[in-house]
Amino acid sequence: MAGPSIDALGQFRLSPGLGPLGAAVNFTNSNEAMLASAAIIVVLFVLGLRSRAIVPGRLQALIELLYEFVRNMCVDTIGEEGLRFFPLVFTLFSFILLGNLLGLFPYFFAFTSHIAVTLSLALFVFVFSTGVGFYTHGFRFFKFFVPEGVPVWLLPLLVPIEIISYLSRPVSLSVRLFANMTAGHVMWEVFAGFMLLLTASFGVLGAFASVVPLGLNVALVALELLVAGLQAYVFAILTCLYLHDAVHMH
Amino acid sequence: MIRKLAFALALSMVPAAAMAEGTMPQMDFQNPLTKSQVEWMAVILVVLYLVLSRWGLPQIGNVLENRERHIASDLEAAHAAKAEADRAVAELNATMKQARDKAQADIAKAEAESKAKAFADAKVLNDKLDAQLAYSENQISEARNAALAAIKPVAADVAATLMVRLTGKAPSEATLTPEIDAALLARKAA
Amino acid sequence: MGSNPSITSVCYKGAENRCMNESRDKDTFEQRLAAAQDKARLTRPKANEAQSGAGAAQKAINLAMRLGVELVAAMVIAVVIGWGLDRLFHTKPWLMVLMVPVGMAAGLRNLVRATGVKTGNRED
Repeated sequence: MAGPSIDALGQFRLSPGLGPLGAAVNFTNSNEAMLASAAIIVVLFVLGLRSRAIVPGRLQALIELLYEFVRNMCVDTIGEEGLRFFPLVFTLFSFILLGNLLGLFPYFFAFTSHIAVTLSLALFVFVFSTGVGFYTHGFRFFKFFVPEGVPVWLLPLLVPIEIISYLSRPVSLSVRLFANMTAGHVMWEVFAGFMLLLTASFGVLGAFASVVPLGLNVALVALELLVAGLQAYVFAILTCLYLHDAVHMH
Repeated sequence: MIRKLAFALALSMVPAAAMAEGTMPQMDFQNPLTKSQVEWMAVILVVLYLVLSRWGLPQIGNVLENRERHIASDLEAAHAAKAEADRAVAELNATMKQARDKAQADIAKAEAESKAKAFADAKVLNDKLDAQLAYSENQISEARNAALAAIKPVAADVAATLMVRLTGKAPSEATLTPEIDAALLARKAA
Repeated sequence: MGSNPSITSVCYKGAENRCMNESRDKDTFEQRLAAAQDKARLTRPKANEAQSGAGAAQKAINLAMRLGVELVAAMVIAVVIGWGLDRLFHTKPWLMVLMVPVGMAAGLRNLVRATGVKTGNRED
């Protein structure tokens, strides 16, 4: 039976982007989406900052909201020192948020559904926060892996656990984002493919029956919007949390 | 807590089920594009970071700070204006009170002055009248005394004549005079 | 002369009336001013309150997004380290097997951390 088949994973396939020039420097369709996200952020800033009004317009209110939101997140989680990392957290948050949201649109590549991307981001956060820890505390930062108020004979057991727990941070950080975005997109594709299958197999009846997967997909849009925002938020707040640990060591 | 955990585990199953589906392009680390997308991401992110940290975020910070300062100064101005208004009202009230007090004091003073003047005038007039009265009384009593004194010989005369006509003999001066004096005194007393 | 005091007293009464009105206006104005100043000063904390007061459902979802992955990630890292050490010391399966309970413990440690017993209490 040579009907349409469900190709749920084809959407994640990388291909050269930006024409022959992009292909020459291995610019991918994923990078196109990244570029679009970054461009949208910058354009939002440009448009929002056009008037610099005391009473903000809609776009200005939007970026101000974003600014205050991330700023409060930094200050609340890391403390006043957190303002040093505010531009970094803001960049990561806005980039991931826009990536997640853009990925929801048809024909836009969801780059946050690539483990290579999320793992790179997470590893960067991990290395950076560890670097901040050693920069702030020197070798005393190793005490972070030694739990306080524990009998000495338990330490050989607990220290590896703490170290593995610490090392698992980039994994959980990246896998969480990657898995959530991938799952949503796969489910969309599966339901959409299911509609085609139903129509091909049962004709008109199948076309009517495919209202069900269509409805599911519509519901999924709402869920994915929520997930897109939430995952960007979780990534950013965990970044803040790791930086908090690096700065305060507890 | 247990429900939360159960919910969490159920949700964590979803991506696992999705991953079990087949060969994923995301796991194809042999593909040179997988590596190059990360490299390009690094470039894009660095540029984005520079743009945001050097230009975008400070600008928004400025705008927010400006607004905060503006609002604070507006409130400050409102506060100052209110204090000024309060002060002006207090001043007005004080001035009005002062004016009122002064007016009342003036009135009281004028009243007292005129009263005193009237009193003094009345006193002068009274004194004058008293003096005139005393003088008049004096005059009268003097006139009366003079009249009485003048009446005495006439009375003695009349009495002697009457006695002569009634009795035929002239009374002695010595008997008549005390009688007439007593009668005159009685008259004077009346 | 007798009519003058009565005129001044009328003026005085009028002034008092006006004063009363003014004081009432002043009260509301003062309240409004104080409220505005409070708002200007407390914008941030209020925003934080609203943020931390987000619905319990969202908190649960937040937690859900973290827990499963936290558990698995520690295990993955532990097994990978075990596998790497095995290759280094040619002790093929043993270190990896040894690392499995350690990975489990680390995963539980992650859960404890994520549910906010020690750190991360701000988030959850």
